[in-house]
Amino acid sequence: MQILYYIILIPMVYFSFIVFVLGTIIRLLKIFREPPPPGKMRIYPEKRPAWLWAVYDTFLFPTVLRHKPVFWFFLILFHTGFILLLIGHLELIREFAVFQIIPHEPFIGQGFIGLILSICLLYFLFRRFSSPVRELSVPEDYYLLILLFLTVIFGSEMDWARRWYGYDTISVDSYRSYLFSLLSLRPELPYEITSSGHSFMLVIHIFFGNLFLMLFPFSQAMHSFLSLPMNKLKRG
Amino acid sequence: MDEKTRNALLKLFQGALNKAMRFYLETCTRCGVCVEACHVYASMGQVKNIAAYRHELVRRIYKKYFKARGKIWPSVGEAIELNETTLNELYDAAYSCTGCRRCMVYCPFGIDTQMIMSIAKLLLIGVNMEPEILTLLADTSIEKGKSLDLYKEGFLTGIRNLETDVLKKWQSEAGTAAIPVDVEDADLLYVALAGAHSIIPAAAVFNAANENWTLSFFEAVNFGAFVGDPTRTRLILDRIVNEAKRLRVKEVCVCECGTAFRVMKHMTVSQPFKVSSITEVHARYISEGRIHLDKSKAQGLITYHDPCQLARNGGVIDEPRYILKHLTDNFIEMTKDPMMNWCCGGGGGLVALGEETLDFRMKSSRVKADQIRNTGAAALVTACENCHTQLSNLNEHYKLGINVRFLSSMVADALIKDDTGDKKGN
Repeated sequence: MQILYYIILIPMVYFSFIVFVLGTIIRLLKIFREPPPPGKMRIYPEKRPAWLWAVYDTFLFPTVLRHKPVFWFFLILFHTGFILLLIGHLELIREFAVFQIIPHEPFIGQGFIGLILSICLLYFLFRRFSSPVRELSVPEDYYLLILLFLTVIFGSEMDWARRWYGYDTISVDSYRSYLFSLLSLRPELPYEITSSGHSFMLVIHIFFGNLFLMLFPFSQAMHSFLSLPMNKLKRG
Repeated sequence: MDEKTRNALLKLFQGALNKAMRFYLETCTRCGVCVEACHVYASMGQVKNIAAYRHELVRRIYKKYFKARGKIWPSVGEAIELNETTLNELYDAAYSCTGCRRCMVYCPFGIDTQMIMSIAKLLLIGVNMEPEILTLLADTSIEKGKSLDLYKEGFLTGIRNLETDVLKKWQSEAGTAAIPVDVEDADLLYVALAGAHSIIPAAAVFNAANENWTLSFFEAVNFGAFVGDPTRTRLILDRIVNEAKRLRVKEVCVCECGTAFRVMKHMTVSQPFKVSSITEVHARYISEGRIHLDKSKAQGLITYHDPCQLARNGGVIDEPRYILKHLTDNFIEMTKDPMMNWCCGGGGGLVALGEETLDFRMKSSRVKADQIRNTGAAALVTACENCHTQLSNLNEHYKLGINVRFLSSMVADALIKDDTGDKKGN
């Protein structure tokens, strides 16, 4: 079991990050090296500055708000929560003063961000089971959402255990020690990371996180990078 | 399908993969926001007419042949083989899409279904499955561009026959041609459709505005764009571009044909002339005081249908309203937001296919008919030939009892001399 833990927590993490970074860069290079379209792709009425409207479209999803307000509500919650979780993970490497404008312990949100994200993912998943979105969906849409949900729920569970139930065997310092060792390319596994009661939760969380990272460049999750240039194209 | 044909088609597919197309094929999350965008789905309720479903057909082929995932694990993205069945599905998808791009307004990424459908059309051309009549019409246009001398005399005779009708609408000064043709250094080249209705009112307005204009030898409509063939589209377009350069005109004015305007405006970059629609030109004449209109000519409540290629895809939104403000005090909008106006249901070559598509066009445009009926207007004005034909068909089919009119023809009918009685209207 310890060998399996080791593989998931160290070599697989490195491997998945390499796939994520290289895969994303190669895919983006491939797309951006294509020739431009033969004509202008914009729609009207024209609004200037186009780049600012493209930013607005990309981050606030006004078209979704207009046509599917409930979906928009969950999308905004999800994307905001996702960014906060990413910040939380950065804070598990070391403390960043910039994120401490509002003083908090990692993660921000006292465990509720993970809960909100889990609810959002369940909503995204179950709306795919109802027509007509069901007919539009393909298996990868479900797999990606399930994978994200599993990653979030196991990760959140550790946060909830620590915050809500006082289970602090794996402390923030333990995470920092593990993650910083990975980042500094001198990987080590603190005893409490692999041998506490919740270690298997961490291992499962990291396992699914690794899978998600490896899948990312080859999935529609690439919209994280492509949405802005696409909206710029639409805005002219 | 044999391997050779498939490879040839995949080569066509590959050739169409530009940056925008990659964006569109890579990004769709099938979120379903576009579900209610398509008038065909809204009218008929079949899932196959949802924008995302249409372009997913093309995307599945893309996954199969251009993505490693489609080769390793095809079922995860439901990647499909390119075969006869797939081509039939592509035909249904491509020729039920009018290319109105209403779905692009819904999509949070701005995915352009019309552009993805152009791949479907390209593949259909590759196996000669495209509507034959559209290709024939496109080829005739191209041929006319190559052998203009053969058509010139007949064209000029036809034009001379129309001049009397132009003079009935607006008396030009003695010695000037009512319909000037082939005038070098003219300020404006007018590209009309093959039909008196597209030439007579326009000529009357140009003459009333004292415009230094000339009529193009070529018709504006671009059947290459309808059939989805970029090569033919470009060849048809180049005839007009070359004529404009030869005559050294400052402006090319496209008649009431949405597709012709959009193709001309968006596919001619860095040319020595500007491209305008006739609606923009008429609005300019009014704002500059070059023409004056009589409001008493237009009777009853009037509404306006925004042609998709002119408004949402061409940016001509305020100008028709400005003109209508000078034509009537009794105007009602069809929709709160012109960008969200329903397509008439006749674009993408469907009207050009005539009777063959009539039943589908009527069924798929029920929402448009409802929209028109709800205005309670007596007259429905538009600025696109395709839309006019389709709206007239809808008027008859749904018994709307509305008078369908061209905006340019209303302008021509309402022309008046100014208070000083100056014929030029200045």
